[in-house]
Amino acid sequence: MIAVVAATGFPSAEWFASLSAHATSDPERLRTLGVADFRLAVEIVDTDGKVRTFGVIFDGYDITSAGEFSDPEVFGSEATLTGPIEAWQAMVANITEHGAADGLHTLNALSIADTPLKVVADDPMGRDKFFRYAETLQTLFDASGLVALART
Amino acid sequence: MVHQLRIGSRLIEEDVVTIATVDLGYIERAREGKFDLGWLRDSHAEWGIRARPSRVGLTLRDIAVGSYGEVPDHPPKRTMAPRGCDVDPDVPDMGYSINDKAEVWSDNVMELYEEAVSRQWSATRDIEWTELPELDADLEHAMCQLATVLSEVEMVAADFPAKWLWRINHDFVEAKMFLCTQVMDEARHTEVFRKRALAGGGGLGKAKAVVEQFLKVILDAQSYDEGSALMHLLAEGLVLSLFRAGELLSPSPVEKKIFRLCMQDEARHVAYGTMHLRYRLEREPALAPDFHAYLDRGEEIIAALFATPEVVEPTAILAAGSLKAAEEMGVGVSDILRTRMIEEYLARCDRAGLPRRGRMRLPEIILAGTSGGAEACVEGVAS
Ligand SMILES: [Fe+2]
Ligand SMILES: [Fe+2]
Repeated sequence: MIAVVAATGFPSAEWFASLSAHATSDPERLRTLGVADFRLAVEIVDTDGKVRTFGVIFDGYDITSAGEFSDPEVFGSEATLTGPIEAWQAMVANITEHGAADGLHTLNALSIADTPLKVVADDPMGRDKFFRYAETLQTLFDASGLVALART
Repeated sequence: MVHQLRIGSRLIEEDVVTIATVDLGYIERAREGKFDLGWLRDSHAEWGIRARPSRVGLTLRDIAVGSYGEVPDHPPKRTMAPRGCDVDPDVPDMGYSINDKAEVWSDNVMELYEEAVSRQWSATRDIEWTELPELDADLEHAMCQLATVLSEVEMVAADFPAKWLWRINHDFVEAKMFLCTQVMDEARHTEVFRKRALAGGGGLGKAKAVVEQFLKVILDAQSYDEGSALMHLLAEGLVLSLFRAGELLSPSPVEKKIFRLCMQDEARHVAYGTMHLRYRLEREPALAPDFHAYLDRGEEIIAALFATPEVVEPTAILAAGSLKAAEEMGVGVSDILRTRMIEEYLARCDRAGLPRRGRMRLPEIILAGTSGGAEACVEGVAS
């Protein structure tokens, strides 16, 4: 399944753009979830320690990918969700397999003990936005399966 | 003009409108088209100040234009008149006791109100109750006990703002409106956990005196300051952490969704509480010792929850998958949860401008691994 994830181009700016596009393809669903206002950085640490950072912007009912950043400061994230690439790949693979994250692979489940993923923020209010928009964030990442479908 | 009025068995003397004070001649004049138009002639309304909708619609922030957006620190009147309108000089005094903006305001309150309205959900419609699986008896007991505790504690977070709402000056209407959304949120939380306890056949579990004692402390708070610190910052912060744990430990996607949706609401309440306290202390830093005292007391009582089987054991059983497995594993998950709760609470206290690291006065067995106690600071855990 990890190979399937790799075939989808994860992680890349294109993958996150596709994720956002799929997640917002049903505007009514996002309207039902309600407005959000959040700049989330997604940090993926490769096996060689190299860090890649992607930005996602939640604005009202919209979710847009802000691409990849060499300097995360430029993006001005309110919180960063960080973890090793294996954990991210396992999450995407799980979602691809089940259509949505199973109980052990939701964003909250993966980050609650700070491992394998961790929510990092200078400001606890930024960190708490990770919980304030939990359902919207999960809806975004549950679209991972649709990215895989579109690419394979 | 003061009048004597009999209402039922009560005889009251008040400066109120009665039919005797009404200008009945006006009805006749109006019939003839002889309008008064004083409301138009003497208006100080900001004619031409037009509020424009933003991307998601016309928000409270969008209508905070001109003088209408100015929230006075100390309103000159205690009236229900909409802030910014022309007010009749004879309006009665509503008797509000919270008349300083800093007592209830937070800089994020307008956004939180809009978010709350936008992100409402239904415990009847949005939870897939028919997909609730038949659980092993241990898990169903544990889930039902957790649901019982949550259904019990949620309603105080409606009762507390409701108790204080009518005392808040109407010029702080955005803060009042936000608290109204909290009342609705908490009603739904009470509802959804009561429904969960009953939907799986396990029924309601046990309510403990220690839990009720903490709820009473919030409800009996002598000031909004005290109650808000205890509830919005301390109690709801801990409940938010508990919801996070609930999402992880839930035996089925049905409960996971319940916890995620509740988590969202709870994080709004905590965001208000944290930023409200910050707003309050920035303007009145001399109140810090009072707030520390409120939290000293609250932390002591809430710490008792960490030693309450009805709270600790359901999470341990849900984490382990069965009572037998939980007995073998102990309450490791509860330890992680406790550490998490305390650290998240301490970070919010820092943000609110009321640092509590190193000054929590709780037993070592509760503060171990956290930066709450004095020793932790010495050892550098706080850094
Ligand atoms: Fe609640
Ligand atoms: Fe709450």
